Amino acid sequence: MVNIVEENEFKNEIKEGIVVVDFFATWCGPCKMLASLLDELSLEMEGKVKFIKVDVDNSAEIASENNISNIPAMVIFKNGEKKEMIVGFTPKEQIKSKIEPYLQQM
Amino acid sequence: MSDRYDLAIIGSGPAGLSAALNAKIRKKKFIIFGNKELSTKLAKAEKINNYLGFHGKSGAEIKDEFSKHLEAMNISITEEKVNNIYAMGDYFTLMVNEKMYEATSIILATGVNFGKPFKGEEEFLGKGVVYCATCDAPLYKNKIVTIIAYNKHEEAEVNFMSTIASKVYYIPMYKETVEVNESVEIIKDLPVEICGDNKVNKLKLKNSEIDTDGIFILRESVSPGQLVPGLKMDVNHIEVDRKMKTNLKGCFAAGDIVGIPYQYIKSAGEGNIAALSAVSYIDEINKK
Repeated sequence: MVNIVEENEFKNEIKEGIVVVDFFATWCGPCKMLASLLDELSLEMEGKVKFIKVDVDNSAEIASENNISNIPAMVIFKNGEKKEMIVGFTPKEQIKSKIEPYLQQM
Repeated sequence: MSDRYDLAIIGSGPAGLSAALNAKIRKKKFIIFGNKELSTKLAKAEKINNYLGFHGKSGAEIKDEFSKHLEAMNISITEEKVNNIYAMGDYFTLMVNEKMYEATSIILATGVNFGKPFKGEEEFLGKGVVYCATCDAPLYKNKIVTIIAYNKHEEAEVNFMSTIASKVYYIPMYKETVEVNESVEIIKDLPVEICGDNKVNKLKLKNSEIDTDGIFILRESVSPGQLVPGLKMDVNHIEVDRKMKTNLKGCFAAGDIVGIPYQYIKSAGEGNIAALSAVSYIDEINKK
């Protein structure tokens, strides 16, 4: 997963298609667990869904703009629009089922 | 980090113990988390007449027989508290304070002692309400912390927090004498409501109120829905099929936590089924 730090870069990355943003912090245990699941998912869904990550300590504005108060948090964007937020560690298959409906409507 | 276990059993009541026996017999590498006292509920039961083979015995006597059985089979209980379990697909990661364990499969046999949440508890979870002292302690450095504990074991955590927080209020919910550091203020009152705005700022008790930044609630066990994110619950019980399978691959459950009737012999039976289901699952995974 690519780590996005700058605000402009972020706006650019979520602009088009289905993008899942992983909000994390380096000191957060469950975030690390989730990261490996998202790495797997990004391979499985390659070409259909983009996965990026944002460190809430380095990019506080991006985090607050997206109302992140608990981590890990995953936000699903479609063409720049925030569609859904999943808070907390979630098993891979359940994350996948949350993303899939957005693929259908393409 | 140590090797991966075939199976991790969480809970040392009849369900967990029965599962451990079967795992041992089937030669699986397993670890069982719980209490060397096995189960406080069992130890306190006066007379049990419907556990086949043990008639007119007290809970304490049956508990002793269980202990002897474990000893004969060379099974030992690991007295560590599991704080979280993450379902990683082909295995599970168990977070135990600063340690991490891995297991291919798990059996949840934690019983129904996790207590009813206080008013405001669920709302402020992650925003000042904490279940794991060791995990979140650094976040409360020089802050005011209120600890509500249900077991004398937890006094060690209270003393630990008193070295980190600026002030510790302690609300013991058990009858034994409290022995904690002098700096800790003990409050003998009943918590009623947790209040705050974006974060916790106050705890209302029956006869008083305290301003606090964090509220640590240390119960015997954490609700399974909290313990294992993604686990499907049916109100207060874990949803299982007849093979004790949950919605998560490799995760099984047995005993009171899967539902009524809350009976020891039922729990032991379910522990047996869960272990055998776990064994099949492990063998299947190992074939790949």
